[in-house]
Amino acid sequence: MENTRIRPIRGFLFYFKIYWMIALQDIKSKMSYRSDFLISTIGMIAVNVSGFLGFWLVFQTFHEINGWKFNEILFLYACLLLTMTPNQIFFDNNWSLRYYVYSGDFVKYCFRPINLFFYFISEVIDVKGFGQFFFGLFLLIYSWIQLQIPVTVGNVVTLLVGLLSGSLVVIALMVAASATCFWLMNSGFIMVYIFKFTDYAKYPLSIFNKFFQVLFTVLIPIGFIAYYPSLYFLRPNDFEWLTLLCPVVGAIMVLIAYKIWMYGASKYSGTGS
Amino acid sequence: MEPVIQINNICKTFKVLNRKTGIKGAVQNLFSRDYKEIKAVDDISLTINEGEMVGYLGPNGAGKSTTIKVMTGILEPTSGNILVNGRVPYKNRSVNAQDIGVVFGQRSQLWWALPVIESFRILKEVYAIPDDVYKKNMQMFSDLVNVENLYNKPVREMSLGQRTLCDILSSFLHNPGIVFLDEPTIGLDVSMKSKIRYLISELNKEKGTTIILTTHDMGDVDALAKRIIIIDQGKMIYDDNIAHLKTFFGAYRTIKITLPNEQFDGADEEKKAKFIADITSQIIAKNEKARNIHVSLDESELSILVPEAEVPLIEVLSTSQEILPVKDVQIAEISTESIIRKIYEGNESKSKLLSSEVKEKAE
Repeated sequence: MENTRIRPIRGFLFYFKIYWMIALQDIKSKMSYRSDFLISTIGMIAVNVSGFLGFWLVFQTFHEINGWKFNEILFLYACLLLTMTPNQIFFDNNWSLRYYVYSGDFVKYCFRPINLFFYFISEVIDVKGFGQFFFGLFLLIYSWIQLQIPVTVGNVVTLLVGLLSGSLVVIALMVAASATCFWLMNSGFIMVYIFKFTDYAKYPLSIFNKFFQVLFTVLIPIGFIAYYPSLYFLRPNDFEWLTLLCPVVGAIMVLIAYKIWMYGASKYSGTGS
Repeated sequence: MEPVIQINNICKTFKVLNRKTGIKGAVQNLFSRDYKEIKAVDDISLTINEGEMVGYLGPNGAGKSTTIKVMTGILEPTSGNILVNGRVPYKNRSVNAQDIGVVFGQRSQLWWALPVIESFRILKEVYAIPDDVYKKNMQMFSDLVNVENLYNKPVREMSLGQRTLCDILSSFLHNPGIVFLDEPTIGLDVSMKSKIRYLISELNKEKGTTIILTTHDMGDVDALAKRIIIIDQGKMIYDDNIAHLKTFFGAYRTIKITLPNEQFDGADEEKKAKFIADITSQIIAKNEKARNIHVSLDESELSILVPEAEVPLIEVLSTSQEILPVKDVQIAEISTESIIRKIYEGNESKSKLLSSEVKEKAE
């Protein structure tokens, strides 16, 4: 049978439109469960505030850690919160992947004529991530003012590029970690471990010993989430050359993670029904 | 009619680790490279024409899902050729997906949190369905089943039946050439089952869509499929129309005898089984030719399946009248269900026989 239908071009606009339709409806439906929405948003802010209180208390006793002042660490922490946000909001379905794979339900994603990874990830949007975003933004503006960083177009653009690179690193780590479920039965702990490691990204890498510095730069590159990008602002006169590499590292990591995910999905054959 | 699915000598083997038991075995498993090959699909060839409605049957683990996965392009066969809509499905998964629809009885593919109508609108974009086609199909759907009142309900708030109904509609939305229905009536009540069967049969008629239906419910097969394919242990054991199936084993009819009600009040399974065995041996004792009858008991109704090529039905009937307190008698044609069961069981005992022979030789 000859295929007469002309295949439409599946470009960025095509995917953007579909994503927009899903997101709009999803947010609308989540808003309709009002108390659920409010409680989860408040919960998210509470988690972040308590995390913040943790090192505020530390700085009541020690006024600096290895030459890092409170406001500098606060800036780093704000950057971490912001770079964690896109993963939190847009890639939350990563956490469910292993359940779909083990139960065989993942097969239901395989029959649409669109990109499999996009289709799977677009299904869930986690609105409570916005709570984290606003808290991070507040801390960033506060520390920015305290550190008296000049507000120039160059600085703002650099900050945005830095945050975007950091977000890509987080997304790549979590996508790759979730994709392990295509091969391993107990992949849950890998995701949890990787996620816990991102917690260390709120400390300056230089306070760790050499071993961890290498570990967090090369093996589990959480240094690129917040530390290397923010060095540009915190140590403007002697930031490391790795800072300039941030966007490249982010892009390459996302590409690799995506390839791993797609390879795993193509190996997947589902369980019998 | 043109073939839409053409399969020639498809095989699919999976490598499975030879697992050893015990703690020592568990450690060995970690390093073992000792794989055995399992043939999930073993040399299957078939041709399905445009507009056909085919029942695809087989016991659990027979290789049905694997064949469906090969046809939909998720799995690549180990050997053999396959063409679906003129394309090799596993090479063009995404392109092939544009021309097929897939429904799983218990796995909804609609967006869980969204109202159904929004899912339909998103699918319209995903499949690039032209406006007029979309409108026409939506009109047809509401003519066939009364679903408009469901459109604004989120999928997660629906009953299984409503969800399946919407899933089936959504799979026809983009006018696919072939729709695969995997146990569409599983877990549904009687009235929903008949509603879904009506819908499937109408969609097949009006749109001329080819439908491949896997099911364990013989009601589906009787109501929908004109042709059935049965596979077991990866091999195709039957491919013909359903009328022919009834003569597959020669002529069979069932004598249904209603026994007095009080006979089995409070009787347990063991007692019933003993009763069945007792009756069977009594009938065979009186009539040597009746050795292949099959007796079963349901409440106070006793069914005797009679192979008429071996023993006349009337002889078995008179024998049973002699030994049983008969309240009422009915004679029924063999049902599709019991034929299929005989096929599955027959195949199983054959292979058991084979494997025991092999064992004996090995010893």
